[in-house]
Amino acid sequence: MDTTERPLRPLNVLRRRQLAVLAWVYFVFIGLATVILGTFAIAFAASLKDNPLENPFRFIFPQITPSVWITAADLGRQGAADPWWGGFAPGGELVFSLTYAAPAGVDLVTPEVEVPRRKPGSGLAAAITTTFASDYALVELTGTSDRFFVNADMETGQETRWLARTFDYKISYEAQDDKGVRVERLPFTALAPRTQTLLEATLPVTRMERRGRVASWNNIAPGALGLILNSYRRVINETVDLSTGDRLIFKWMGNSFQIAVGRVVLMIVLSSLAGYALARLRFRGVRLVFVLVIFSMTVPVQVTFISNYLVVRDLGLLNSNWSVIMVMIASVHVLLMKQYFESFPREIEEAAMVGGANRFQIFLHIVLPNAKPALIINAIMAFQGAWNDFFWPFVLVTNPPSALAMPVGLLSLRESYGGGQGDWSLVLAGAFISIVPVLIMFVLFQNYIVNNQVSEGIK
Amino acid sequence: MKKAGINHDTLTGWLFLAPFLVSLSVFFLWAIMRTAWFSLTDYDLFRTPNFIGLENYARLVSDDLFLTALRNSISFATIVTAIQTVLALLLAVLVNSAARAKGLVRTVFYFPSIMSSAAMTLIFLWLFQRQGLMTSIAGNVANLRWIILSFFALVAVVQVVQVTLARRKYAEVSLFDPFFLILSAGVGAAGAVFIRINGWLPVYEEQFLISWLNTKEVFLFMPRTLWSVALMNIFTTVPTLMLLFLAGLQSIPSSLYDAAKMDGATSIQSFFSVTLPSLTPVTFAVVTLGLIGTLQMFDQVAILGAAAPLESRITLAYYTYYNTFPPGGSPNIGMASAAALTLGLLTLVIVFLQRQFGIKERIG
Repeated sequence: MDTTERPLRPLNVLRRRQLAVLAWVYFVFIGLATVILGTFAIAFAASLKDNPLENPFRFIFPQITPSVWITAADLGRQGAADPWWGGFAPGGELVFSLTYAAPAGVDLVTPEVEVPRRKPGSGLAAAITTTFASDYALVELTGTSDRFFVNADMETGQETRWLARTFDYKISYEAQDDKGVRVERLPFTALAPRTQTLLEATLPVTRMERRGRVASWNNIAPGALGLILNSYRRVINETVDLSTGDRLIFKWMGNSFQIAVGRVVLMIVLSSLAGYALARLRFRGVRLVFVLVIFSMTVPVQVTFISNYLVVRDLGLLNSNWSVIMVMIASVHVLLMKQYFESFPREIEEAAMVGGANRFQIFLHIVLPNAKPALIINAIMAFQGAWNDFFWPFVLVTNPPSALAMPVGLLSLRESYGGGQGDWSLVLAGAFISIVPVLIMFVLFQNYIVNNQVSEGIK
Repeated sequence: MKKAGINHDTLTGWLFLAPFLVSLSVFFLWAIMRTAWFSLTDYDLFRTPNFIGLENYARLVSDDLFLTALRNSISFATIVTAIQTVLALLLAVLVNSAARAKGLVRTVFYFPSIMSSAAMTLIFLWLFQRQGLMTSIAGNVANLRWIILSFFALVAVVQVVQVTLARRKYAEVSLFDPFFLILSAGVGAAGAVFIRINGWLPVYEEQFLISWLNTKEVFLFMPRTLWSVALMNIFTTVPTLMLLFLAGLQSIPSSLYDAAKMDGATSIQSFFSVTLPSLTPVTFAVVTLGLIGTLQMFDQVAILGAAAPLESRITLAYYTYYNTFPPGGSPNIGMASAAALTLGLLTLVIVFLQRQFGIKERIG
């Protein structure tokens, strides 16, 4: 060994190299976790925004700013005595201030404010909205106050005196004949010439319209949750079946839930019986069935869907959840159950057989109760698969809108709101609502799911 | 006695299998036979089918849309499978060395695969809007290209200087030493900010609008639309595949690595001589799963819908659906069935090849 020339300290060097490798591993891991979870985090944050397509993309916006939450809760309490979901109800009286500023000497004009008669969005909601805050709102200017401040120019550093004037408004609920109703939101606009800029407002402005002359708020009495979860509330309230008034998101969830539960039940019956027969019973044709099971797992659904569509159509079951349940092929689960039963000790069954029980009794009273872990794993897989399945509901259930399953419902959301200029907050909110059930399942059964995936490997 | 037992077993066996077999016969076997029959007829979902021989297949071969779908499907399957297999393998090897983080790693990496393809596609559609976040990121990179380049140049210079200095003391400091790299990145970032503030390098203010999806442009054998879908597919499947590789890695006996180390193999050499050969079965499975999954890609295409032109997104699976329920036309079940069988055949060929090669590898 040629270590005499340089003062090497081999132990240190080795330790350092090990640490270096470890550091790289963690760099990569953290980077990947950032990419994977970051994508979801950013998409979720965007789903809270008024306009997820805003450019430039802001990472800090009113919906995630705690100080704005408190203001929103205050305004909600003033508007409808509801700090959480806000609104505008009889007896409501809000104080809302705007501060405009202009260089000293420029005339500061009192803005023209109003509560516009505005529908909440472009989609179905436009057809169902019948109450407007503008019918009940009375806006009064209650006072103004001035202050001067010094504004330094960014480029030149030159300092100028500016005047800032705060306009305080009182917006009160005026009910005719005591027949006022609670309105979900209270929009507000302020028109001012471009010589003066809007410096601040009680609630951050939603957007500027008409080249910056009109400051526009979607809702100045939002309440804390009404501010944060606005798009979630909207997607639930505004996607409705126009003929029945049902909330479609809940209908879609219900359908997906029925489909998932139905498939799980069907899967358990089919796969436990068939799996047991394939694992335990020796009879002619068992090999052929086994080959068929494997074969059916490799053939794409597109090969079978035309005939299955016709079967469902001939049974008159199109557009029903039953159709989606029954076309399931349980081969994967049959195979997994077979594997499980093969590892199950034979002796117990044989003892029962000597005792005079028949195969079915043994299966029902001895084998099934002991197969719980395998059944749970299969049920989780089947539930998740059915909940996320797109193809069969897409083909078999096309209308009415309330009959769709969740993934197809999401597609219809995209078609109504997800254009180039669309209401993407609703689309994203719908997508995140749709993953809640599987997310809950993932958290509850995390160990089952993750470990199973690894140990089971490839089916 | 024994014979009676077998007979008894046969009856019970078929009884146990009956529910599953009924479902399998109606919704699978009969369905395949009917599809095969329909592919030889002029069926349109309503009138009685007439036998027309192989005409549907002849029409398929001369249908431009079918050829596009076939090309798209094959390039998509090949490209996505290749990229995701390599990525998943590399990640698994990396994660495998981080023994302590494994539980967390699994949870994090499993997460994308619980999402439905519909929810996932919507999120990606939003990302890939013309004026969306992806455009904004690409635009910022393009506008700040000189600053970014200067950052990397500074990092490289500082790193080389540090490593050169360190090598006077310890001979074997790697050029990519992570601890020096943290310092280099810090210096690089500070330098880049300094350059930006002083305005030494140009910063552009171009506004970008990039059509990621709504385009007919073809980039490297595949429409740009499908590249965007490929990115999403890789994003969702790599973590799952990585977990499969991880399981494979953990079953490699450590004695193999010890032997390689005794023979003086470097870690890269032992990766190629120990890790890769031991992982061959898993790799074959991952490749097969990947090919089958990507060949059947349908959901994303359907959810894209009008957001992209048909020929930039169509795949074989979607072609089948498109001919069964053509918007505003009469169903062409014959061609749909023929295309479906083509897709089925492609899948079977892949499975067959995997069986052949997979078995050979295990023997050799």
